[in-house]
Amino acid sequence: MSGLARRAAAILWKDILSETRARQGFTAMLSFAALVLFMFGFAIGVDNDLLERLAGGLLWVAIIFTGTLSLGRTFQNEELAGGTRLLRLYPGDPRAIYLGKLAGNLVVLAALEIVLFPAAAILYRVDFAAQAGPLLLVAALGTFGFSVIGTFFSALTVHLRARELLLPLLLFPALVPVVLGSVGATDAFLAGDPLGRAGGWLRLLASYDVILFVVCVWIFPVVLEE
Amino acid sequence: MSLAVAAEGVTRRFGRRWALRGVDLAVPRGTVVALLGANGTGKTTLLRLISTLLRPTAGRLEVLGRTLPAGGDAIRARAAFMTAGGHAYEELTGVENLRFAARMSGTEAAADDLRGALAAVNLAGAADVPVRAWSTGMRKRLELARLGLRPLELVLLDEPFASLDEDGVRLVHEAVRRWRAAGTAVVIASHRVEDATRHADEIVRLVGGRAAAATR
Amino acid sequence: MNKLTMLGWLAITLIAAGSVLGLAVLPADALQGEVQRLLYVHVPVAWVMMLAFFVVFLMSILYLVQRQLKWDLLAVSAAELGVLAAVLTLILGTLWGRPTWGIWWAWDPRITTTALLVPIYAGYLVVRSMTEDPERRARWASVIGLIAFVQVPIMYLSVFWWRSLHQPPSSPQSMWSAYGLVMLLGFVAYTLAFAYLWLRRYRLATTELELELSGPGEG
Repeated sequence: MSGLARRAAAILWKDILSETRARQGFTAMLSFAALVLFMFGFAIGVDNDLLERLAGGLLWVAIIFTGTLSLGRTFQNEELAGGTRLLRLYPGDPRAIYLGKLAGNLVVLAALEIVLFPAAAILYRVDFAAQAGPLLLVAALGTFGFSVIGTFFSALTVHLRARELLLPLLLFPALVPVVLGSVGATDAFLAGDPLGRAGGWLRLLASYDVILFVVCVWIFPVVLEE
Repeated sequence: MSLAVAAEGVTRRFGRRWALRGVDLAVPRGTVVALLGANGTGKTTLLRLISTLLRPTAGRLEVLGRTLPAGGDAIRARAAFMTAGGHAYEELTGVENLRFAARMSGTEAAADDLRGALAAVNLAGAADVPVRAWSTGMRKRLELARLGLRPLELVLLDEPFASLDEDGVRLVHEAVRRWRAAGTAVVIASHRVEDATRHADEIVRLVGGRAAAATR
Repeated sequence: MNKLTMLGWLAITLIAAGSVLGLAVLPADALQGEVQRLLYVHVPVAWVMMLAFFVVFLMSILYLVQRQLKWDLLAVSAAELGVLAAVLTLILGTLWGRPTWGIWWAWDPRITTTALLVPIYAGYLVVRSMTEDPERRARWASVIGLIAFVQVPIMYLSVFWWRSLHQPPSSPQSMWSAYGLVMLLGFVAYTLAFAYLWLRRYRLATTELELELSGPGEG
């Protein structure tokens, strides 16, 4: 393993260990996600057909809303431990910090989705299992794009007052391609992809992921400068 | 004798506030420099600049033969900065905190070595207790253990004596003596004149962001 | 009269000339009627918006490379004008869209992307206003200015796939009519106006920074 990967892994290991010990964070996040799913149900009413048709969009909005709360906490534990900047005092490329935090967010969001997909399947009566393979790919690409941008903006806003407000302000517009791509592909696959549009959405998602990942990794050291 | 730190006219401003206004400082390798001065005179800012955390607004700063900000990475590999607040994760135990620090420094230390490092600062009993339950003094000791994990050419200590009991202060003195004997340069910023100057080869006093006097 | 002031007067004169031509001299559009005249402003202002955000992008890169605060000041000056132009574009667009399409708002790629640009660059300005240290402020703002501009084409593409309704941009052929000439005049006039306001704002920003830096701590 290269030094970069080793140090990224060290951060991932440390964060997962902290998170599993503290735990409250994840439990609260799951409860919030469940509440969001319920709220959509209340807002739309007991119309099973409508809920089923909207399921893809509702699910992704729930993921984005809940995930944003979680992403906003990415660097909070560093601030409590003495400051994110202290991570920069270790030798080596500061990009390891970004990659480690990104991996941590992927793990947390994956854990969230493992609960959220079945929950949405039950509440909105959609059969995700029938398209499990393709949907897994959509979830992976969507979650990756979300984490890439979210981790980056979380680092950028961690020192700001009102960061809880600023993070979504910067993050949500940036997430438009992710949301459209994920929802578009999810809906297409759920409908059996009659128009063959799913591939286009996946390509859009994948290219956005790659471009933003490259830009974020490249520019990240600037964010952590003091 | 080559210099571990060579600062010429180093200036740093934060907006309208001038933290440092043209500081000259020379720290030869293997010497101890005590940085004295009242609150807000720029001691911590100077240490943060030397540690590569901050970029100077103006002036020339050379650390371990590298010019900042370009040589930052090479400096970080051979220098360490103990901040006044420390750097420890609440949910992790003493051993886990040290293991994280070792991994981030590019080494993998055996559990026994980490326990040994904790025992050396009289923290053996707290090795497997999450830092959450620790006192401030214990966290300071953990910082000392962390600095001892890897060979260093320059050590920056910000208020190392604060919150420590007599035994803890003794441990800091011992560590400083060891570093000095090993040829490591040490810069100590502190209000505690007596402790800070005990091993000092030179004393620098900061007044209003300027180096006022160098003695001894 | 210095060069900058002359530039300002030139811009105002050209805008006035374009407005007279567009409002009074040219006949109303056969298909769209009087409302089509809005396009003589809407299209050049939309161009100015894109130009402004591109300038933010360029200045942000220059700042990150050279670390001189002047690039940051040039960037923020353009960002403010860009947000203003974006809001103006949206207002003019909805005013034009209501009679033409019969709806105030269409989920069209260009409209949607323009609307999304407003919060992004508003975020850019808010982050600045919350950061006291000028260097930090410049650094963070430059990062946002850079990354925002990278997002925009893809954002546009994604919304384009999602839905398309906007009338395509005029082909070069139709530009060489009277309509095209007035439009061209608009482009020149509003670009000059942008240049004037941008440089004016930059001068002001320079003074602001000097004031900000010359506090009680000056020695």
